[in-house]
Amino acid sequence: MEMTLLFVTVGFLMFLQITIPFIVKRTVVFGVTIPVDEIRNEQLLRYKKLYAILTFFISIAALALYFIWSKDISPTENHLILAGLLLPFVILFISMSLYFYFHMKVTSLKREKQWFKDRKQVKVSELNLRTKDEMLPWIVYVVPMVITAGLMVFTLANYNSLPDQIPTHWGPDGKPDAFTTKSYLSALILPFVLLVLNTMFLGINELTRNSGIKLSAGNINASRVRQLRLRKYTSWLLFFISILVSMLFTFLQFTTLYENSVSDLLIITIPLAFSALVLIGTVLMAIKVGKKDSDLDLEIIDEGTGEVINADDDQYWKGGLFYFNPEDPSIFVEKRFGVGWTLNFARPMGYLILVGPLLVIIIITLI
Amino acid sequence: MFIQIEPQSDIPIYTQVKNGIMEGIVRGELVAGDILPSVRSLAGDLGVNMHTVNKSYHELESKGVIRIVPKSGAVICTPSAGEIPPSRLEQISEELRPIVVESLVIGMSEKEIQELVASIILKVKGE
Repeated sequence: MEMTLLFVTVGFLMFLQITIPFIVKRTVVFGVTIPVDEIRNEQLLRYKKLYAILTFFISIAALALYFIWSKDISPTENHLILAGLLLPFVILFISMSLYFYFHMKVTSLKREKQWFKDRKQVKVSELNLRTKDEMLPWIVYVVPMVITAGLMVFTLANYNSLPDQIPTHWGPDGKPDAFTTKSYLSALILPFVLLVLNTMFLGINELTRNSGIKLSAGNINASRVRQLRLRKYTSWLLFFISILVSMLFTFLQFTTLYENSVSDLLIITIPLAFSALVLIGTVLMAIKVGKKDSDLDLEIIDEGTGEVINADDDQYWKGGLFYFNPEDPSIFVEKRFGVGWTLNFARPMGYLILVGPLLVIIIITLI
Repeated sequence: MFIQIEPQSDIPIYTQVKNGIMEGIVRGELVAGDILPSVRSLAGDLGVNMHTVNKSYHELESKGVIRIVPKSGAVICTPSAGEIPPSRLEQISEELRPIVVESLVIGMSEKEIQELVASIILKVKGE
């Protein structure tokens, strides 16, 4: 059981890390902006292939080492679990090291070839594009909040039937492994945390909506479709996760109340099903967005005269990963390496939405 | 309608945004009553400072090209019917003067200047 789980996680992670260079937007290679007319550049394609092959083989080697070690030396159960938990991070570390290596390679290639020198770099925007934006309206994010409110009412109504010990933490088997004495506050912690999470999802959705829809000169059509898809599908995914978290927490609260009437099988499968659904949702989103304006997109770009190219915005990307642009009012921007969003680190509002809810949750649990 | 800016250009970005919007009106892609995107969203889309876009909008307002209506945003104005007020004509001619003078100084003839202006008008209209 544990081994299968480990295999699925590590395998999934490997697959993800290997595919990333091919599903990110075409004009960014290993975090380096390139002009639209260089996207078929042989050298860059070779780097991507090399990255994929190296990530694959080094990760496989790490995995093999783990199995040889677990078979031969027969380490203690604890060591085995610890190493198993570390394995995904090892894979991540390998792929990130390779990413930085190729980031440097592409940077020096770009400098050497002077792709952007003496060319007219432009930024483009379409004035009425926002009418085509299909992000979910904020009001739908109130639905999970209504579930949460219902859960609060339910908890208070059944306060007397709750056990004297309220679980505060659940183990990997879905069973509570930490408790606190019953009080109105401790009984309501779970719904409170849930409400904070619901609010966070709502906040992220609204901040994303205010973020800019970045088009790329030279491939306006493809980049437009990609940006709109990214907005639409992340907004759907956020809503889906918000609903799922509400359902999971409601289930946990129920198991507290009806301690013995919920079958063990259900207690194990519900959190697993939750993780699986979130994973599937994320993969679907990555496929939907990653298909467009990436190497997987078969549509050939033949726009414009080639006189103007997309602007080189590398100076705002620290290490090709972190966006820092005090001029840009956007709080979230499309990721450089991967599918999704990243923060504009020059905007303190972004930190607030990500760190704020965590702080609130920590404070609630500490009281 | 598309608006395009060149971050490396010597022309300030607020001027580029302003001109971009006015060219859209000339081409008929923006008509009276159309609402421009909010300052925040246009600044986000172009990745420029909000003050930059704000400045463009305010200049356009002072020229009478747009009206900034609280709550609904920046609305394109109907071009005033009848004759252009002499003060506006005066202002345009003053701004045009140094360019005309420069053209004459580098040796362009009157006819060449007129042809140049005509070609620019054609280009802006996209014909």
